[in-house]
Amino acid sequence: MYVLDGICKVFDGRTFAVRDLDLKIRRGERVALIGPSGAGKTTLFRILNLTIPPTSGTLLFDGLESRHFSGRRLRDVRRRIGTIYQQHNLVPRLQVVHNVLSGKLGSWSVWQAVQSLIRPAELDLALGALKQVGIANKLYERTETLSGGQQQRVAIARLLVQNPEVILADEPVSSVDPTLAAGIVRLLIDLSETHCKTLLMNLHSVDLAFAHFPRLIGLKNGTISFDLPAAAVTDEHLAALYAGSGTEAAEEEIVSRAEPSFGRSCQPHLTG
Amino acid sequence: MQSRHSVAPVSLTLPARRHSTFRIVWSILFILTFLGSYRLAQVKPLLLLEPEGRRNIRTFVTGMFPPDLSWEFVSLLGRPIIETIQLSLMGTFMAIVIGLPLGLLATRSLTFTGILNEWEIVDSRPSVFLLRKGTYLLARAILSLFRTIPEFVWAFMFVRAVGLGPFPGVLAIGISYGGMLGKVYSEILEHVNPGPLEALQTTGASRVTVLFYGLLPQALPNLVSYTLYRWECAIRASTILGFVGAGGIGQQLEISMRMFNFNQVLTLVAILFVMVAGVDTLSARIRHAILDRSVD
Repeated sequence: MYVLDGICKVFDGRTFAVRDLDLKIRRGERVALIGPSGAGKTTLFRILNLTIPPTSGTLLFDGLESRHFSGRRLRDVRRRIGTIYQQHNLVPRLQVVHNVLSGKLGSWSVWQAVQSLIRPAELDLALGALKQVGIANKLYERTETLSGGQQQRVAIARLLVQNPEVILADEPVSSVDPTLAAGIVRLLIDLSETHCKTLLMNLHSVDLAFAHFPRLIGLKNGTISFDLPAAAVTDEHLAALYAGSGTEAAEEEIVSRAEPSFGRSCQPHLTG
Repeated sequence: MQSRHSVAPVSLTLPARRHSTFRIVWSILFILTFLGSYRLAQVKPLLLLEPEGRRNIRTFVTGMFPPDLSWEFVSLLGRPIIETIQLSLMGTFMAIVIGLPLGLLATRSLTFTGILNEWEIVDSRPSVFLLRKGTYLLARAILSLFRTIPEFVWAFMFVRAVGLGPFPGVLAIGISYGGMLGKVYSEILEHVNPGPLEALQTTGASRVTVLFYGLLPQALPNLVSYTLYRWECAIRASTILGFVGAGGIGQQLEISMRMFNFNQVLTLVAILFVMVAGVDTLSARIRHAILDRSVD
C-alpha cells in the first residue's frame, strides 16, 4: 500500500522531524507505531495522509508517486486514506450528523455538500455508522455537547462513512479514559479485519500495541529504531526506544512490561 | 523519584537573560514618539479652565436646558429617526454584501496557502500559486482602499454623485464598512482552530467545502458578533453623515447646531443615545440566541 524511500521532513530549514525513513506497508496489514513523544510519529502520519509533503524522498501510495498528485487527483487519493486524530478534530458547533457525513465530502460536489447542511443527505448512511459505534441516539446533538469518548466515536463514524482503504489512527485513545480506550482500539481492529483495511496506529500504550498488532514499529528521533513482528520485540528493544526520553509515562511502560504481575492501575513510582 | 525532584540543585549556569537591542531601540523610539506627539498635538488641558473656555462651555451647557420637547420640534423628528435606522440597516447589509466575498478572497488559507495556513502544500504549481496570491493581494488592496477613506468623505462624494438623501449615506456606510468587515472577516477566518480543517481536508474535501463545513461553522459566532457591532457603529456614523446632507437625524442635528438651538441639540443627543442603546440590547439578544443555542 505504502512504499517510503528515504523520506525526510525538515521544519524551519533545520529541525529534522523525520529523517531518512524507509518503510513498506502491505495492503491489509495492521501496524502499530510506538515511540517517545517528539519521535516524529504525528509528522509521519501527516505525510502518509498527504497533508504535508515530505522535504525529500519518495512516497508511493498504491504504486502512485505522491509528488504527481494535485487538485482533483490529490483529493481522490486523500479520500482513500482515513485519519482518526487524538483530539477528534470534529467541528464542535455542527450537529453530529454533519460531522459524520463530512466523511462524504471527498465524493460530494460543493452543491451537494451545502444542501446536506440544510437537509442531511444519505441519512441512512450516517445513522448506520452511528449505530455501528453505538451512539445512534446522538444523531442531532451538537457535537460539542458530547463527551470525549463519544466524540471519538463520532470521528470513527465519519471514518466509516468515508470508507477508506487505509486507516491512520494517530493516538486515537490518548484522550479517552483507559476502559474506553481498549474498546475503541478493538473497534478499529475489527473494522480493519472485516473489511480488509490497512491499519496504522500510533499508540502511547505499549500494552495495547502488543495485545492487538502483529507488527510493531519503534520510532525515535525521526528514524526507525526497530520494525519487527510483535513476538520478536524484546524489553531491550523497548528500553532502547524510550532511553533518554525521560518521560515518566514511558518509563512506567517499561516497568509495567518488565513486571506484568504488578497491578497497572496502582503502579508505584519506582523509576526514581 | 520524589527526593530526586525535591533536591534538584539550583543550576549554576542559569540561561543568560537576553536584552535584545532591537527591543530597547523600539521602546525608546516609542517613548520619544509619544512625548513628541504630546507637544505637537498641542495638548493643553488647562485651556478648558481658562475664562474664555469656561464661558463658552457655560453658554453651551445652559443653552441645552431645558431640552426642547415642544410638539412642533418633536413632530419633525419621526421621519429622520426612521431614516437613520433604515440607513444603518441598509448600509450594514450592503457592507456584508461587499465585505464577505472580498473577505473570503483576502483570507490566506482560502486563496494561496494551504487550508491550515501552511506554506508548503502538497498541491503547488507555480503558475496557480501566483494567480491565487495575486487575487489575495488585489482583494486586500480593495478592502484597504474602501476602509482608509472615511465614510464621511465617501458620503461627501456620493452626495455629489446621486444627490441629497439617505441613499448616498447607505453607499458610504456600505463601502467603508464593507472594507472593515472584509478585513476583520478574513482575520477571524484565519484564526479558527485548524484541527477540524485538517481532518476535513484528509477526507478529500475541496477548499470550498472545507469553508462550509469547517471554517464558517467555527467562525460564525465571531463573524455575527463583529457584524452586529458594526451595525451599532453604523447608527452613530449615520448621524455624522447627516452633516453632509446624507439624511437622517444628523441633518437635523446640524441645523440645530448652526442655529445655536442647544436645547434641540440635547433632545437629539438623547434620542441618539436611546437608539444606540436599543440597538446594543437587540444585538446582544441576537448574539445570545446564536451563541448559546447549544446550552439548553
